[in-house]
Amino acid sequence: MSYYRGVCNFCGTGCGHLLQVEEGRVRGVYPLPGHPLSQGRLCVRGWHIHELLQTEERITSAFIRENGQLRQVSLNEALDFVAKKLQRLSGEEIAFLASPRASNEDNYLFGKFARAVMKSNNLSLASDAGQEESARVLLEGCGWPAATGSLSRLKQADFILVAGGDLTKQNPIVASEIHRARRAGAFVATISPRKTQMARLSRLHLRPAPGSMSLVVEALARIIYEQKKYNLEYLTERTENHQAYLSHLESLNLEEILALTGVALEALTELAGKLSAAKLAYVFYPTGVQSLDRRTMAALFNLMLMTGKLGQGEGGIIPVTGISNLLGSYDMGLSPTFLPGYLEASDENNCRKLETLWETKISRTPGRSVSASLAENKSLRALMVVDHDEEIIRQVNRIKELELVVYFGAYQNAFARLANVIIPRPSYAEADGTYTNFERRVQLNRQKVKPLAEVQPLWKILSSLARALGHDWQYESAEQVMAEISRVVPQYAALTYEKLESSLGLKWPVDEIHPEGTDYLLPEQKKAKFRFVLEEKTLSQPTIIREPEADFPFKLTVGRSNYFWHQNSVMKRTFIPKREYNALLLLYPKGFVEISAEDASRLKLREKQPVRVISPSAEITLAARISPDVLPGQLYIPYFVEEMIPEFLLRQVAELEKSEEYFLPVRLEKVG
Amino acid sequence: MYWLEQSQVEILMNKLAESYELFGPRRDEVSGEVIFDRLGNPRQLDLSAPIPYNPPKYILFPHYEEILKYRYDRKTKKVALERINHLKPKALVGLRACDLNGLMCLDRFFLGQEFVDEVYLEHRKKLFLISNTCVRPFPQCFCVCTDSGPAAREGFDLDLTRVGERYLVEVGSKKGQKMVEELGLKEAGAEAAGLKKKVVDESVSSFDALALENKAWISRATNRLTTGFIKPEVWEYIGQQCFECGACSFVCPTCSCFNVEDVNRLDGTTDRVRTWDSCSFEGYTKMAGDHNPRKPVEDRRNKRFFCKLSYSQSKKYLRPGCVGCGRCARVCPGDIGLPNVVTYIRREITGE
Repeated sequence: MSYYRGVCNFCGTGCGHLLQVEEGRVRGVYPLPGHPLSQGRLCVRGWHIHELLQTEERITSAFIRENGQLRQVSLNEALDFVAKKLQRLSGEEIAFLASPRASNEDNYLFGKFARAVMKSNNLSLASDAGQEESARVLLEGCGWPAATGSLSRLKQADFILVAGGDLTKQNPIVASEIHRARRAGAFVATISPRKTQMARLSRLHLRPAPGSMSLVVEALARIIYEQKKYNLEYLTERTENHQAYLSHLESLNLEEILALTGVALEALTELAGKLSAAKLAYVFYPTGVQSLDRRTMAALFNLMLMTGKLGQGEGGIIPVTGISNLLGSYDMGLSPTFLPGYLEASDENNCRKLETLWETKISRTPGRSVSASLAENKSLRALMVVDHDEEIIRQVNRIKELELVVYFGAYQNAFARLANVIIPRPSYAEADGTYTNFERRVQLNRQKVKPLAEVQPLWKILSSLARALGHDWQYESAEQVMAEISRVVPQYAALTYEKLESSLGLKWPVDEIHPEGTDYLLPEQKKAKFRFVLEEKTLSQPTIIREPEADFPFKLTVGRSNYFWHQNSVMKRTFIPKREYNALLLLYPKGFVEISAEDASRLKLREKQPVRVISPSAEITLAARISPDVLPGQLYIPYFVEEMIPEFLLRQVAELEKSEEYFLPVRLEKVG
Repeated sequence: MYWLEQSQVEILMNKLAESYELFGPRRDEVSGEVIFDRLGNPRQLDLSAPIPYNPPKYILFPHYEEILKYRYDRKTKKVALERINHLKPKALVGLRACDLNGLMCLDRFFLGQEFVDEVYLEHRKKLFLISNTCVRPFPQCFCVCTDSGPAAREGFDLDLTRVGERYLVEVGSKKGQKMVEELGLKEAGAEAAGLKKKVVDESVSSFDALALENKAWISRATNRLTTGFIKPEVWEYIGQQCFECGACSFVCPTCSCFNVEDVNRLDGTTDRVRTWDSCSFEGYTKMAGDHNPRKPVEDRRNKRFFCKLSYSQSKKYLRPGCVGCGRCARVCPGDIGLPNVVTYIRREITGE
């Protein structure tokens, strides 16, 4: 019985923890005091990760499906089988679904296997929800794809804006930091249609109508523009295209925006005043589990740039990733369009550079995401999947048609039912690996428990497969993979296991100029000027708002509750978080729709009364839950009953789950 | 009392290691923080380290523990029970007074009522306990407000108090006496009690200057909580800041709530598992038929502080349920550790 230092593997906060290990099993968990971000705190999920790590519902050996039945085989037999199948496939015929929870080392080699061995660019993550858009907006605006600021001085902040989601549920320890900053005197404002706990902990809560958050942010900029509370000299000197942006603000009609968003001018003016007066300002928005749309992210970036809050120190824009290694997965280039290190795959120079480093050819055929491949690519014959959750449900029928589905996983999973070959993976406590949290902090998590003999780390399995396919992959440890990552990914150039071992994580870029990492976006790092992120759409009047149609007067949004987190495939293997989730499920076995007391009384609906929710294309019957958290005219469905997805949300879900900027027009009818 | 020289600490540890697994405060080499952990090497023991981040509770009442194993035979419809008994004797060295008091609260919950918890008893009776007087308080401490420190009064086998470069050893049990004799410690003579009192008095009087993180007006809060004269708005304000993580219960040296689950193992047996639980969770108080007497979060928070500080609960523990270690304040993602809640109650009383 001893405690060993590690990194929590649930959300993108990357809290430090201590795992208590006894006789080769993880028996308990405790927060790691002194961790630079979490400082000895964990959330309800983190406090129960040992329950997940002890589950018996593991995949412990390899299987091959024959005549519909899974046959247990040795790892070598499974790998031989897969290698023979792969030999006959071209890059266009295969797609790769990666996991945002896998380590950088596993993910890097998974991407390299797709591109260098199989010559395929059909490579993506399962859950993205805004992370790629966020990286693109930030790259375009400041050449830096992730958090521009640092939480190291959050408690000294005088202004914090939280846009969308509910950080108290998605990344509780980040929300806790914001709460502490508020207790220390920061002005905290939340913009979200729903009254979330984050909103309750804020000084000001703006509740725009669903679909109008970007307009609220632009209205803030417009007010600051009108009051001339921006520094034209700074904009001229530091930005490329401020004139286009200012003339866009000039063209906005504030009154119209106020009417569309339903937000009061006084509240906006107060918020604009606080922002322009702030010396140290932060903007937070979530990515990964739920996020904003590109337009709102761009509006937030532009607002911070216009008020001079970027590149000025620790403050800045902080996208908060909802899954443990979501940021690292993009760093490793798990996207059809980004090569490792955020290099554009469409740029010939980048491809040549990678070919030199990898000493092999890569394909120039533009890749597709896995969901796009499944939907559009008729020649697709095979799929390789790492630790996937159950949201692939949308494309079950297409997956069933494929000749080869290889599933690499640690836990038994619905996806395994679709697989021809199953290959076991270690849990994150059973292998060495690094994980990159939303702060850009790369943290080393050491193996604490030995896996079973037939369970090997993904980097090792991929190396065997690559060798079987004629590539000389000779990695002997995760550390050796990191050594290669540091040569390929510029942000990781000076990272070594040795450095990570003696620290509690280093924030990238870790390179020659910043050998111990970089706390925040430095002006000298950014030689070129900043750019306002403008699009054709942004320059004209708003178009995103759809007026409620007469037949469908309610705006329905979907979200995720505390314990139903990430499709629940992880939570349901714990005791306490599962029980807490079941508490809600038992009360509302078929799910519920939240409605305001005003609308409920108008429609004569009682608590728990069944009600039909009807959209232009589908309908579902749910229990009504009268809630003070939604405004009249709005409805909210927490996304926790799996059946709701195919039954009702199927056609809309891809957009709805990405961003709370999307809503579905619906009407309600009483049942019976 | 006896004298233990600095150089004899290692001899004591080696002697203990012959019969016990060693536990004590050690420093994490990278973060520098103090954890109460198994000591692979007796030299890891750091008796001058600040109060560890975790209480020793997990050693007697583990986070996750199989308390019973059974196999159900479907054919004969019989259940074969198997008692799990693999516990090793353990020595807990360098316990702070607050944590020793916490352990005694656990004793009263698990052993001092109508039913004796046999699993806990197994752990408990195999312990050797050595407490360590806090010769100066740490920033988070308020044990002087909860009558649980800075020195232990009872419950130890041996108690150490650092005086200059050596330790005064007080014996609290026959086991302790035997150990002292086996080690051949030098008797401290008549002035020992006065020396110890001087050290403890100095420590108590330095709380004002050194223990700055938390102040807790426990007696008035106990009065208010017992009589129920706390406005609902205060509880709502507290409830709003609750992230429902359960950390306050998990880090509390006296919190004893648990959950029981049956886990089917691949070999056909079933383990009955006991895990930590917390009254801050909604599912904790939920009953059959959807009824939940403490559904809103503020009602659940209210319950916890009632449990820690009300007079009726304190009667069960023979002391307040709070031992003044300040851990709940450090792990709370909100700002509602017990000392802060006492502050909110005080503000309501004084109208500050």
